[in-house]
Amino acid sequence: MIDRRQFLQMAATLSTVFGVSNLPAPVQAALNKIDPASLPKLVYLQGQSCTGCSISLLQAESPSPASLITDYSQLAFHADLSAISGKKAVEMITRFVTGQAGPYLLAIEGAIPAKMPEACVIGEHPFAWYLDQAAKTMTAAVAVGTCASHGGIPAAEGNPTGACSLREYYAQTGVKKPVIAIPGCPPHPDWVWQTVVHLVKIGMPELTKDGSPKLFFDRKVHETCPRYHDFQQEIFAKKLGANGCLFKLGCLGPDTSADCPTRWWNGGQNWCIGANAPCIGCASPIFARKKNFPFYRIAELQKTSK
Amino acid sequence: MKVDLGPITRIEGHLNVHTTVENNVITDAQCMGEMFRGFEVFLQGRDPLDAQQITQRICGVCPYAHAIASSYAQENAYQLKVPSNGRILHNLIQGANHLYDYLLQFYQLSALDFVDVTAILKYKGKDADLLHLKGWVQAELASGKPFPAAPFLPRLSGNYINDTDLNIGALKHYIEAMHIQQKANRAAAIFGGKFPHTTAIFPGGATQTPSIDKISNYVALITEVRNFIHNTYIPDIVAVAGGFPNYWNIGASKGGFLSYGLMPLTSDRNSKRLMAPGVLLDGTVQKVDFERITQDINHSKYSSPTALKVRDAVLTPAPHKKDAYSWIKAPRYNGRMVEVGPSARIMVDYLQGHNPTVKKLVETFAKMAKIQASQLNSVLGRHLCRAISAAVIADFLLAETERLDPKGPTMADLSVPASAEGFGATEASRGGLLHYIRIEKHKIARYECVVPTTWNASPRDDQGNPGAMESALIGTKVTNPEEQLEALRIVHSFDPCIACAVH
Repeated sequence: MIDRRQFLQMAATLSTVFGVSNLPAPVQAALNKIDPASLPKLVYLQGQSCTGCSISLLQAESPSPASLITDYSQLAFHADLSAISGKKAVEMITRFVTGQAGPYLLAIEGAIPAKMPEACVIGEHPFAWYLDQAAKTMTAAVAVGTCASHGGIPAAEGNPTGACSLREYYAQTGVKKPVIAIPGCPPHPDWVWQTVVHLVKIGMPELTKDGSPKLFFDRKVHETCPRYHDFQQEIFAKKLGANGCLFKLGCLGPDTSADCPTRWWNGGQNWCIGANAPCIGCASPIFARKKNFPFYRIAELQKTSK
Repeated sequence: MKVDLGPITRIEGHLNVHTTVENNVITDAQCMGEMFRGFEVFLQGRDPLDAQQITQRICGVCPYAHAIASSYAQENAYQLKVPSNGRILHNLIQGANHLYDYLLQFYQLSALDFVDVTAILKYKGKDADLLHLKGWVQAELASGKPFPAAPFLPRLSGNYINDTDLNIGALKHYIEAMHIQQKANRAAAIFGGKFPHTTAIFPGGATQTPSIDKISNYVALITEVRNFIHNTYIPDIVAVAGGFPNYWNIGASKGGFLSYGLMPLTSDRNSKRLMAPGVLLDGTVQKVDFERITQDINHSKYSSPTALKVRDAVLTPAPHKKDAYSWIKAPRYNGRMVEVGPSARIMVDYLQGHNPTVKKLVETFAKMAKIQASQLNSVLGRHLCRAISAAVIADFLLAETERLDPKGPTMADLSVPASAEGFGATEASRGGLLHYIRIEKHKIARYECVVPTTWNASPRDDQGNPGAMESALIGTKVTNPEEQLEALRIVHSFDPCIACAVH
């Protein structure tokens, strides 16, 4: 376990990454007391990822991306934003993961190709090399998104690379450093940075059995869905685009823990079921993993109607 | 001397470029895609309707383009009759994604190749954002940390813009663009549910009802984005071009150009599109024939047969294959190397005299910059063609909203046959995107994606001919061979996406 001081450091680091401009005043004050120069840095690395998590983080409206730019002095490296490139970028990453640039937190987006290390390379080393080094030197790690948290799409059944999550990879290699899992394909930006608020105000968030903050991932989508009433009244959508509970079309809300029904996405603009689209369970540990567990039950409905 | 430029930052994914430099000229370049997941392998045996969801995860930057290409492929396979609303909703969701992506590409991914961030220290005005940035940079530089002002510093050595006002204006727009890209994505989420990765796009349309409140909300957001495109983005590109006019002559690829055309105008499967498809070879535009596309893999890390047509594609990874240097395949059209992307899209449309606004904008900017249309094949040409695409798309989206029928159906009735096949092609922001699906016994038997950066960042083909980006780099003069800012500008102008290119 990491102690409260380490968590405060981690929280403050994350908050500088994801911004703190619209935090409640006491939280802001708590953060302001921390000298930025003393904070551990954050090193954000991508494995077998699609960059969707990073793009989602740019959709955070409160805090704004502008504060992301001016307040994230502790974001030492992010492949999509860093001005530096090439050898000097690798040198910077390497100095951190080999423990030569002070304390830091590791944020990982994407899966790890555990059975085919050549399937993800940064500079002269496989991605996993950086994880192995970091395991000895980092304070803690945040698994950003379903791939890093649970394997996700790269780990889908039949995948050729042996892709696995950061937690699985560290479990396989005997690493015991803490990893907080923030799933979602992509994760909602609030899920990432509000975890930090929790750390600052209260301390270690209570985690689900899957290692994710209960604050966001404790209840099934179905339980807080505005169409739960339709479900109880047995008003089911019979085809895509129709109103009513989407359960019979394959909605995975009953199997997926996330607060999408109350949080909504893109600055509160909408969410999947708000667009009449069944939940595909993107924050679930088994998201997309099995061939015989399709997202929709359209084919099934087709067969039963014949 | 030999220099690796990777890992190249401010792009999507894992790209290295192995260069040989002699007398400050790049004499050889090899583009190396360094991340592989194997989508086409694990899509086999899945429910066909999983495809538009799974393939979006090829790329979190342009996921909607994959959803659309997959939907088109399935519409062709299922012989769906897409209602007018369905087609328009596809366009509204995909088009908004193009607008966000152009802004992100210019401001967040490319601007730091030209703009001098340190100019903020000379700022004397009263803008709160800029004063905050100035204070932050000052504090960082004084902090004695190992990497102050990361991620903006350190940077590569080279010639950046000298004009302080221009630099400071660009930094302000860098911050503003982050807000504006969100507005484009919010607009997309109105009909798509969320961004990235929509769940509302299906073959045959989209699930969202286009009620008047949603339409007006969409119009308001896209209008804000449109205004930024005209008042800020286009003037900034003109300003960068004014400061670096030599980049109209740097970074030209040495092959043809391919565009599949963007956004159908009617629900007919062979509808004309807002921007016309075509392949430009030897100065003339021809009709695109998917059967002429093959993918060479002699220099790619696969042991499956080479030069297969799209419908015959198979994929066997071979990470240790001798002489293979990339996970990216080498697609070729009729055996020829082509560039895809904004320049291809605009040139292919312009040379056919298809879209009058494209013609007008190309000619206006060519006159202003004193260039020929052929110089759109350049670093600045690619940036300009993104801006032209943005202007044309924004107006089209606003016009499309007028054609929505709030009471009409938004989806075709979906019925997946036991066996079928179909191609689906569209333009992602970074270029032509082709999906192919074959269904047997109600499951996906084969799925193949030929993706924009697969063309642009391809390795040598089986004849030893370089890919588009390789050809654009070879012959480039570089001031500092160790760092090659000039090469980075060329690479960024292609807006490479390696997660897409390899998938």
